[in-house]
Amino acid sequence: MRVLLALVIAGLTTGATPLPARAQQGVTDAEILLGGSNSFSGPLAFTGEQATRFGVDLYFKAVNDGGGIHGRKVRTVYYDDGYKPQEAVANTRKLLEQDGVFAIIAPQGTPPVVATLEYLEENRVPLLFPFQGSPITRGRKWVFSGMTLYDRQSRMMIDYLVGARKFGKFATLYQDDEYGKSFLTALEKDLGRHGLKLVATESVKRGVTDVSAQMAKLQAARPDVLFLVLTPGPGAQALRERQKIGWSEVVMVSSGPLTDERYLALAGDASEGVEGLSLWPDPLTSDRPGVKRYRDDLKTYLPKNEPNRYSLSGYFAAMLFTEGATRAGRRLTREGLVVALEGIRGFESGILPPVTIGPDHETQRQGFWVRVERGRFKQLTDWLRAE
Amino acid sequence: MRLLALAIGAAGLLLWPWAAPRYFVFLASLIVVNAIVAIGLNLLSGYTNQLSFGHAGFLAVGAYTAAIVATRSPGVPVVVALLAAALVTAAVGLLLGVPCLRLEGLYLAMATLAFGFVVVEAILNLDGLTRGNDGLRVPAARLGPWVLATDTARYYLVLAVGAVMVWAAGNLARTRTGRALLALRESEVAAQASGIHVARYKTLAFAISALYTGVAGGLFAFVVGFLSPDAFDVFLSVDFVAMIILGGLGSVPGSVAGAAVLTVLNDSLAGFQNYRPLIFGAILIASMLFMPGGIASAVRRLRTRWAGHPPMAPGSRRGLE
Repeated sequence: MRVLLALVIAGLTTGATPLPARAQQGVTDAEILLGGSNSFSGPLAFTGEQATRFGVDLYFKAVNDGGGIHGRKVRTVYYDDGYKPQEAVANTRKLLEQDGVFAIIAPQGTPPVVATLEYLEENRVPLLFPFQGSPITRGRKWVFSGMTLYDRQSRMMIDYLVGARKFGKFATLYQDDEYGKSFLTALEKDLGRHGLKLVATESVKRGVTDVSAQMAKLQAARPDVLFLVLTPGPGAQALRERQKIGWSEVVMVSSGPLTDERYLALAGDASEGVEGLSLWPDPLTSDRPGVKRYRDDLKTYLPKNEPNRYSLSGYFAAMLFTEGATRAGRRLTREGLVVALEGIRGFESGILPPVTIGPDHETQRQGFWVRVERGRFKQLTDWLRAE
Repeated sequence: MRLLALAIGAAGLLLWPWAAPRYFVFLASLIVVNAIVAIGLNLLSGYTNQLSFGHAGFLAVGAYTAAIVATRSPGVPVVVALLAAALVTAAVGLLLGVPCLRLEGLYLAMATLAFGFVVVEAILNLDGLTRGNDGLRVPAARLGPWVLATDTARYYLVLAVGAVMVWAAGNLARTRTGRALLALRESEVAAQASGIHVARYKTLAFAISALYTGVAGGLFAFVVGFLSPDAFDVFLSVDFVAMIILGGLGSVPGSVAGAAVLTVLNDSLAGFQNYRPLIFGAILIASMLFMPGGIASAVRRLRTRWAGHPPMAPGSRRGLE
């Protein structure tokens, strides 16, 4: 009994003593440790694998071989959440409390990212460049958004289609979740600025692939333009359905996240003439210096991996982190990194137009218009911006 | 001797948050939550020989009920939220139990499997209540003046509830219902002949099992803090079955052991979810081949050998201990 009591007291006292002040978690003299929960299984497995192990890590390999950031090598740890928010919560806690990462880099998907927001903010951990576009990440001290946020994408699309292209009747087929709904709200608002309204909207539940009923209803409303706010599977299905019912007079426009090679491959020849907003230059053919360097690094370190926009996006995220951490100096802290990233003005990545982050923490505000011609995206405009 | 071991075990559990790093406190809470589900599933499978592949569905019902109660009436004591989760899930279990009585073996497994999918669909379609695919944020549990906002506080909540559930399961065998269920397990015909209403007790077993899982679901909601339908897939149901097979059918300590082993294993495989079903499947097959009574009977055999008694004849099972 006495032993037990002694144990209790020992336990209580060690627990009560605060840990001695230490250097920044995740930063040692030789190393910076970053981590992220991502999809390595489930519907976005390809995207997650490419963005992290073939994108973020690719850039850091090159950085480490060049001597690291202020002499520190960058190491990364990833865990798989399979697009499940709960797993993302557990993984993020593990990264922070077990592995002791310095910051979270490039996690993917609105639901998993949103599930971890509060926890990361409470613990004052930077959440860097999540691969998702819901405006929910805007205006948070510890969060720097990744892809161009959906409301900005919507503004670019509507301003271009109403302004330069003079279209007047719009309809939407959207996925019934945070992604689809935040896009829908933004589209309605932006059309409102031009005195227009959506003539029809139809939704698709996540995981459903048959969209024939929705397409029939949308056709009956006779829009000039149909926005597709979907994932590659149902997006491609909508294109095939349109081909099947011979609805040729409508312009199909895909959202930023949908405009990728995978969706084209799934749709086959039904994708011809489809337009959309592309957030990234063509990873295979673009001659921008950053994209060329990306292809060269890929050839050097991961020669078996084909270039694609997901690994390019991860490559860009790591590049932006490197820029921030370099500016923050040798004494790297979380607070210091946030200040350094906020100070980035006109940074030339050679991939996107010059990046200015500033106090709103949005790293990307751009996109350009593309049309599918013979199975590839052909660039129609220069960079569009929504300021 | 037994009392001393119990005291040391209890002290260890109580002191855990002070000895272990924060993440392991969170992990320990998850183990207890899974252990409650495993006990609940074992009450069904261990007593009435019915295997359920739908317990992720019950867990979801409990989790969402507790979360919705806590969200809609802020400041409600966590006990009320958990009770609501228990009652709603038990009611669902009762409703499912009635039609499932007519089914056995493979057909029962299929019906419960379908139930799991129906629950996920229901969560998606009742999005006014559950926020569908967007997921539901769970407010911190409250207990009178306290807000259980730290891992340690949540751990003690989970531990206290878990202790009550373990105690209740251990004592079930001494009640009239428990004895009726035991009789059912040994022989349905004999039980019926001695006046036990087979259908009624089988339904009851379903409801009790669901109640346990519902309570675990409520705790799960508060521990994880975020719910979405993706978490409650069929693989989770299979994990629960794996826990009781590994731990030992019909054993409460076995359920706890099985839950602990598989939860820790699942956590250490966080980087390779793709291989998880493979590894879990291999464990399941291996434990059925080499350790048919699970961890519980392996320990029992070791203990009798150590004490110099002849091992118990295989197949002779006693009540839930």
